[in-house]
Amino acid sequence: MPRTTTLECPGCPPLRALTFDALGLIKVIEARNTQGVPSVIERWGEPDSSKCVVAASINDQKYDPLLAVARKNGLVEVLNPLSGDLQAAISNANVADLQPEENAIVGLHLFAKNNLELELASRCCTLLTCTAKGNASIKSIEISNSSTESASIGSSRAWDVCAGGSILCCKVDGSEKYALFGGKGVEVNVWDVDNCTKIWNAKPPPKNSLGIFTPTWFTSATFLSKDDHRKFVAGTNSHQVRLYDISAQRRPVLSFDFRETPIKAVAEDIDGYSIYIGNGSGDLATVDVRTGKLLGCFTGKCSGSIRSIARHPDLPVIASCGLDRYLRFWDTKTRQLLSAVFLKQHLMHVVFDSNFVFEADIASGADRLPGEEKTKNEIILGEEFEALPLKRKESSKSKEKNADNKENKKHKSKKNREHKKSKGNDQTQKSASGDERSKSASKKRNKRSNSELAED
Amino acid sequence: MGGKRKKSDIEGGESSLASKDNGDESRNNKKTKMEVLPSMIKNKEKRSAVHAKLKHQKKLEKRKKLKAREAAEKKALELGEELPEKPVPRTIENTREADETVCKPDDEELFAGNDADEFSSVLSRQQTPKILITTSRFNSTRGPAFISELLSVIPNAHYYKRGTYDLKKIVEYAKKKEFTSIIVVHTNRREPDALLIIGVPDGPTAYFKLSNLVLRKDIKNHGTPTSHMPELVLNNFTTRLGHRIGRLIQSLFPQDPEFRGRRVVTFHNQRDFIFFRHHRYIFESKESKKTDSKGKKAKDENAPERKIIARLQECGPRFTLKLRSLQHGTFDTKGGEYEWVHKPEMDTSRRRFFL
Repeated sequence: MPRTTTLECPGCPPLRALTFDALGLIKVIEARNTQGVPSVIERWGEPDSSKCVVAASINDQKYDPLLAVARKNGLVEVLNPLSGDLQAAISNANVADLQPEENAIVGLHLFAKNNLELELASRCCTLLTCTAKGNASIKSIEISNSSTESASIGSSRAWDVCAGGSILCCKVDGSEKYALFGGKGVEVNVWDVDNCTKIWNAKPPPKNSLGIFTPTWFTSATFLSKDDHRKFVAGTNSHQVRLYDISAQRRPVLSFDFRETPIKAVAEDIDGYSIYIGNGSGDLATVDVRTGKLLGCFTGKCSGSIRSIARHPDLPVIASCGLDRYLRFWDTKTRQLLSAVFLKQHLMHVVFDSNFVFEADIASGADRLPGEEKTKNEIILGEEFEALPLKRKESSKSKEKNADNKENKKHKSKKNREHKKSKGNDQTQKSASGDERSKSASKKRNKRSNSELAED
Repeated sequence: MGGKRKKSDIEGGESSLASKDNGDESRNNKKTKMEVLPSMIKNKEKRSAVHAKLKHQKKLEKRKKLKAREAAEKKALELGEELPEKPVPRTIENTREADETVCKPDDEELFAGNDADEFSSVLSRQQTPKILITTSRFNSTRGPAFISELLSVIPNAHYYKRGTYDLKKIVEYAKKKEFTSIIVVHTNRREPDALLIIGVPDGPTAYFKLSNLVLRKDIKNHGTPTSHMPELVLNNFTTRLGHRIGRLIQSLFPQDPEFRGRRVVTFHNQRDFIFFRHHRYIFESKESKKTDSKGKKAKDENAPERKIIARLQECGPRFTLKLRSLQHGTFDTKGGEYEWVHKPEMDTSRRRFFL
């Protein structure tokens, strides 16, 4: 028999991921058994190139999860990530006079916590959008359960992030108080979302020894840990990854090169120091940003540019997707390919639905009718908002509750630990940066003395 | 070292002994239990003798098999039964590794993707293809000759001298002048060795390695092509990537062939190599006598007296392309994103093909 090498994929733990592609389709991928092969469960939307997804954000809380999707034609849709029902849609076109194609949305964030000033009785979600020209705005939308197109906008704030250049990346930190923006010709800057004020702006790194200055072109960025807005990592078009620390200096604390093609995606791990970087030729690697050392590469015949990386909040799994039309799941510990799903289109974005629990004995399709869910939603909202969690599976109520409680506890303990860790890190890094400062100071002194000598 | 090797010899001998046990019964050799593989015998004369014997035996067996098959066929023919099925040889192509990206004809998403891609305006005849051909910075001997032949193959193609312009500037220029594609012929050591095809407003950039270039004048009995619009044959572009490359090539040619010209351009994909041929064909009626005298098969006797056959005359260049990379967007080596790049780690199997 001919020798054939088959790709050995061990399969994934049960998980649920949503991918967004260039034709505006949203595909739901689920792996069901403990070592299941993930497959496409549902497909939402009709193929239409003008509805190409440019940004997406999920808010996967236990109660009433929401998913926001920004399309190429300037439309922002809020969906239910369980059923795919359209809950609200706003058009961004009226904000700017420009064509939506020219001034496409590049960043989108769905705030997890509701603003306290808003009444709880009315269901609201708050969105931060940022367009390529730098028009950032925060809008809160009232969600109507009937799927009408125009949702009423409760309140909105808008400001300009930059004067020139084009924004390419936009990220909101874990506490949702700060947002960072960066792009082509725009240095990374951090804004206070509550007051709409710029609190920090990066400085370009100095010219190299030949006096050559690399133009600013940030392609991706991410905050390093959930509860620290001061440290973040940005990837540039000149295949450089930079670590910034707001508390230390305006120039990057650490920067290193990765391969030869531009960095296209950066994602943080939950441990607070390792990051995942994907580039334009399909290389995916993990790096320890405390030292800048490469921990390892994810190899699996991936040949197309990586557009998005997502880390599963609980499981040691990351998902990557991009122009090679594959969604790949990787083990973060062994860096092994768990499985790959061919999804036929250029994929723009991937998110995990972390609350997915699969019980083997339930056929999930039957009891997850969208109609039922909607009515349930309404009832819950009408009576008491804080009372009941939204059930994903009816028959697994008790089990899920228990599981939830456990998970919550775990989360808390983990968070505490992370707090401690990050604090420790801070201190060490601060001291390091302090050293650097002193060094630079000494250098300056030397220079001065040199110049003085020259003058003499 | 020596001791180690001995050990392995013994082990190997045992294992192969076990495997050969049942086969050895036919041979009444005194060495049956000792001897196993000729390569393990250290004496060269003996080894070669054993090897020759084995080879002879294999040959005999093969002949026997063939005879048996022929006899069976003859018998079946005499009795008027169905002929036994001819065994299909295993080739690299038909034992190719299974690929889930192979396009299916009933895939609606594929068609939706086609409608949305960069070539759809050309392929749906809203736009006539207009090609800009240029070269690398340095260009001599075979390069210009190849380009002049490309100009005769591709209708509505215009050659522009490269000069010292950047390729990005040329792309800008082509955008302004409403070209639909750019072809860059890269020459190295006075021999064209790469082809870069750029879809112009925002299409992909495909980089091909070019080899085995034979120009028109080197082809025996070549014809000179007419200025009719050629027909296009694209063979074996099966996977999603292959489909995209096929569409890229298709967008170079006008979509309304003039069948009067009887001119056909072929891009044939075999094992990821794309073979380019350019022919003129003619349908001729031939008298059956000729075929009778030539043909030996029984089928030809039933053929009609006059038979229509297609004859081909090759014209234009002949070359082979191999895809190196497909880049999203127009030419941009530093900041470009690749849709597909060939990486050495993909070459772990001879039976894996991407197009």
